[in-house]
Amino acid sequence: MAMPYTDVELMAILLSREVRDGEISACGALSHIPAAGLLLAQALHAPNAELIILNSVFNPFKTSRQFHFLAQRGELGLFFVSGVQIDRLGNYNLHQIGPDIDHPQMRFPGGYGGGMIYYGARRTVVFRTEHTSRSLVEKVDFISAAGSCPPDVLRHGNPSKVVTPKANFRFDTTAGVLRLDTVHPSYTLDDIQENTGFDLGTDPVAITPAPTEDELHTLRHVIRDKMISTGTYADWARKSLGNIKTQAA
Amino acid sequence: MGVPYVPVVGLFGTDILKRRDDMVVAVDPFDGKTRTVVAKALRPDVAIIHAQTADRQGNVSCGYEAEVVILAEASKHVIVTAERIVDQLTEKEAKGAFIPAIHVDTVAHAPFGAHPAGCAGLYNADKNHMREYVIASKDDASFETYLQTHVFGVRDHDEYVERFVPLEWRQPTRAAGS
Repeated sequence: MAMPYTDVELMAILLSREVRDGEISACGALSHIPAAGLLLAQALHAPNAELIILNSVFNPFKTSRQFHFLAQRGELGLFFVSGVQIDRLGNYNLHQIGPDIDHPQMRFPGGYGGGMIYYGARRTVVFRTEHTSRSLVEKVDFISAAGSCPPDVLRHGNPSKVVTPKANFRFDTTAGVLRLDTVHPSYTLDDIQENTGFDLGTDPVAITPAPTEDELHTLRHVIRDKMISTGTYADWARKSLGNIKTQAA
Repeated sequence: MGVPYVPVVGLFGTDILKRRDDMVVAVDPFDGKTRTVVAKALRPDVAIIHAQTADRQGNVSCGYEAEVVILAEASKHVIVTAERIVDQLTEKEAKGAFIPAIHVDTVAHAPFGAHPAGCAGLYNADKNHMREYVIASKDDASFETYLQTHVFGVRDHDEYVERFVPLEWRQPTRAAGS
């Protein structure tokens, strides 16, 4: 029987699988789950991955200018980002909620970086811890980063995937839309459609391979210890990794 | 920096562009077809920078590489406050974020000039004060009280340091980097 795991552990493992050996992979500030995913990938299948976790010891840069131009040159292989809303066209919103762009009902800290890195990084994986029809929408209220652009606009990379606790989507760069890729174990296609604000189509999809014992064990012990000892979201790691007994699975 | 504009790979198709008149889409002047966003350069009239060490000529060392060098280069006038003023910066001190005197208009001696924020290598942010600041910034009235006490209610920087920088920070035994 498969080992039980939490949504957070599942997502860290799914994000880790997106990291390729030898590539530069990064996540921004306040990115607990991708930070765990990056370190997990390096411990398992990507020992030569170069990691950038902003605002941590895993950052070779002293200034944001250096990070900016790394992305501008197209040297960033993979970036992890989150958005309040993500839409069918691969746009995400980190700015504000509400139908009137000039009078938002709620504002978020979204700025300039995401809309830049979406073009600069070779692949961007968008993650969202809430998979509901209010977070995965037909059209975002504000485009902080654009999924597609005309062919004459300079762009080094594209959205690659969207990862939630229920499913993975992949971005179809030709059509410029998200397609349901795999459904996580214990969910059905109906669950996903019910909680997604855009039509998923009827293509058959595979089941996401469940976290392996090796992935879970490494995450809960090696990565948890590493995050605590390096002060990389230490409190979060203490609470969120390897405490399955005290959390709802 | 100080160039008129900078191309940016990205941002095309975002709603950010609808709100800004300092970012437009332009065609690459070399190939005549590829489009990128072009951002108008900021050209501040005055930059005020706090640094670790400055010398009498106006050379400034921020200790390690930092964003402020670009800020100094972009601004028409630069005012530097420094923790320490020396006769002349040594070669060793002139490494990292180094602002040559040619950019600098004036230097003022201001120990603990970054407080309640920190100054790398010398002191960290004052967490208690920061907590007070966050609480005070919740509404206009409480922020006004904060300003009256900490900004308008002191005669000069020396009085600010005397009243608001923790006493133990000011002991001479507290060496750099501790």
